[in-house]
Amino acid sequence: MTRRTILPIAVLVLLGGLAWFQYSRRFQEYRSDQFLMDTLISITVYGKNQELLRTAVAAAYAEMRRIAELADGFPQPGTAAWRSSDICRINDQAGKAPVPVDDDTVAMLLQAQKYSRLSHGAFDVTVGPLMELWGFGGNNPHLPSPEQIRAALTLVNSEDMIVNKQDHTVFLRKAGMKLDLGAVAKGYATEKAASVLAQYGIDKALIDAGGNIRVIGRNSRNSPWKIGIKDPRTSDAIVAILPLVDTSAVTSADYYRAFEEQGKRYHHILDPRTGYSATHTISATVITKDAGLADILSTVFFVLPAEKSLELAATLPGVELFLVTADSRIRHSPTLSGTIEITRSDAYRYDEGR
Amino acid sequence: MRFGTRRMVFLSLLISLGTALHLVEALLPLPLPFPGVKLGLANIVTLLALHLFGLREGMTVSLMRVLLGSLLSGMFLSPGFLLGMSGAIFSTLLMSALLKHSSCFSMIGISMAGAAAHNSGQLLAASLLLQSTALLLYLPLLLLAGIPSGIFTGYLLNSLLQHHKKSGILSDFFEQNSFNDRRN
Amino acid sequence: MTKGDKLLLAVLLLFSTLSTGLLYSRFSSFSRSSSALQAVISVHGDVVRTVSLPVATRTALTVQGRVGPSIVEIEGSRVRMREAPCPGRICINQGWVGQPGQSIVCMPGEILIRIEGASPLDGVTR
Repeated sequence: MTRRTILPIAVLVLLGGLAWFQYSRRFQEYRSDQFLMDTLISITVYGKNQELLRTAVAAAYAEMRRIAELADGFPQPGTAAWRSSDICRINDQAGKAPVPVDDDTVAMLLQAQKYSRLSHGAFDVTVGPLMELWGFGGNNPHLPSPEQIRAALTLVNSEDMIVNKQDHTVFLRKAGMKLDLGAVAKGYATEKAASVLAQYGIDKALIDAGGNIRVIGRNSRNSPWKIGIKDPRTSDAIVAILPLVDTSAVTSADYYRAFEEQGKRYHHILDPRTGYSATHTISATVITKDAGLADILSTVFFVLPAEKSLELAATLPGVELFLVTADSRIRHSPTLSGTIEITRSDAYRYDEGR
Repeated sequence: MRFGTRRMVFLSLLISLGTALHLVEALLPLPLPFPGVKLGLANIVTLLALHLFGLREGMTVSLMRVLLGSLLSGMFLSPGFLLGMSGAIFSTLLMSALLKHSSCFSMIGISMAGAAAHNSGQLLAASLLLQSTALLLYLPLLLLAGIPSGIFTGYLLNSLLQHHKKSGILSDFFEQNSFNDRRN
Repeated sequence: MTKGDKLLLAVLLLFSTLSTGLLYSRFSSFSRSSSALQAVISVHGDVVRTVSLPVATRTALTVQGRVGPSIVEIEGSRVRMREAPCPGRICINQGWVGQPGQSIVCMPGEILIRIEGASPLDGVTR
C-alpha cells in the first residue's frame, strides 16, 4: 500500500458510508387532514418514498370512510348515506327483523358487547335512545325529565342485541332500541387505518382522530412519540406526557358537548345504568395497542369509579389507564410509573405509585 | 515489499496500542454534558507514527485504529464510526502538515491543532449525516474542549519523546529500520 | 510551548469564544429546531393560506369554508377565528391560539387553522 492508494480508499469508504447513511436516513414527512366522523382526522406518515406515503394515507382514509359510513348514526332516512349505514338499518329494523351487515359491523358490535358484559353495563352500545333523548347528536342538548329517562332506560341493554356471527346479521329485540357507536367506531376506524398503513410498509406514523391517538413505530427523531394528555380543566394545558411506541392513547372526558341546566353540569358520556352523565371521573385515558379497544375502554373507565377502573385495568393485559377524578386527583396504572411525566401536579393531587 | 519487517512490527504495535487506547477511552466517558468530547489519548499514537515515520504511516495507524476499534466495539459502519473516521483523516492530515514546520510548533501545539481538526471533521461528518447545519453551532464548544485535551496529549507525547531521547530505545530501532528500508 | 504553540492556542481560544458568544446571542436555545412558527389554514384538507408568525400588523383573512366565509384574525404570534357562519361557534369561543401544535377546528366549515413550528409534543389525546 502506498500513500497514493490508502488515502483515496479511506476517503472513498468515508464518503460511501456517509452517502449510504444519508440515503437510509432520508425520511420524508407526509401529512394529510380530513373531516370524517364528525371530527378532524390527521394522519402523518414518514418514509422514503413520497408516492408510497400518499397512496398509503389515501388508502387509510378510504378505510376510515368506509367504517364511518357503516357506523354513521345521523343521515336522513332514505338517502344513500342512510342505506350504506349498517347502524341506521339495524335501528330501523329494531323489533322487526335481523339485518344483514358488514363483517366490520359484526366485529365492532361483538367487541362492544364483550366490554358491556365485562363492565356490568357501565358501557353499552344500545345507549342510542338515551343519547337521542338528551339531544347529544344535535346542536341543542337539554335535560330530560326523570320519567323520560326511565322510559328510555328500558330500551338500553346490550343483551337485547343479537349479533349472529355466522349469518352476519344483527337484530335488536325491542322496537325503539337504537345503537350508538360514538364510543366505538372512531377507535375501530383508527385501528383499521393503522393496519392499512402497516400493510403498505409504513413504520412511522401518527394518526390523530379528533384526539384519539394511534402511533406506529417511533417518531421522526427515532424516539418514542411524545403525546400529551389534555388538562380537563385548563384549556391549552397538558396534564401529563406519555412516551408511546406502537400503541394508542384514547381519552374520554367531560368537556365535550357539555351544558348547564338548573345549576348542574351535564355532558355527553352517559352512564347507561342511570341514564345521567357519569360523574366519578373528568378524564380517562387508556393506553393500549388496539385503538378500538382503547376507545371502548376509555368510556368504560370514565363511567366506572376510579378504584373499580384501576382494578379492572389491572386484569386486562397490555392495558394502561390514566385518570383525573372528579375530586381533582390523578390516578394511574402502576405500570405507567417511570414512563409518564405528570406536568400538572400543582393543579391536581398526585400521590405517586397510587 | 516496501515495509521493512521491523517497521511493520513497530507499526502493528502502534496500531494495537492505538486501538487499545481507543477502546479504553470509550469506557471512560468524561463527565461533561456534551457528546463527542474526548481526551484523545489515541491521538498520541497517531502523532508518534507521524513523527517517527511520516504521513503514510501516520494515516495507516490512525485509520486502522478507528477501523479496529469500531470492529471490536461493534460500532463498525455506525454513525460513530463514520464520525471517528472523518475526524481521524482531518487531524492526521493537519498534524502531518504542521510537523513539516516543527520548528514553529512543539508537540503540544501540533496535538492541539490535531484535536481541533479531529473535532471539526467529526462535526462536519455529523452535520452531513443529519443534514443539519444546526450542529455546526456545536463547533466552538468542541474546539474549546479540544484545547485542554490537545495540551494534555501533547504534553504526554513530549515526555515520551524526551524519555526516548535519554534511553535511546526508539532511535536504536530506527537506525536499523532505516537501514532495512534502504536495503529494500 | 513554543511561540507557534502559543499563537495557535490564542487563535483557537479567540475563535471559539468569539463564535460561541456570537452564536449564543443569536440562538437562545440549542435544542430549538430551525422550523419557524407559522399558521396554516386549510379547508377540506387543502391548504389555502400559510402565514409566517409573528405578523407585524393585525391582519384579518377571509376564508371560504364549506358553509360560507369565515374571518380569521392574526395578531402578533396568535390566531383566532373572529367570525364564522357555523351554528355552534365553537371555533370562535376557543379564542386565541399561538403555541406550536395548537389548532382551531371549524367542523361545519371544515376549516382547520394549525400553528406549526417546533413543538415539544408529537400529539395530544383529548
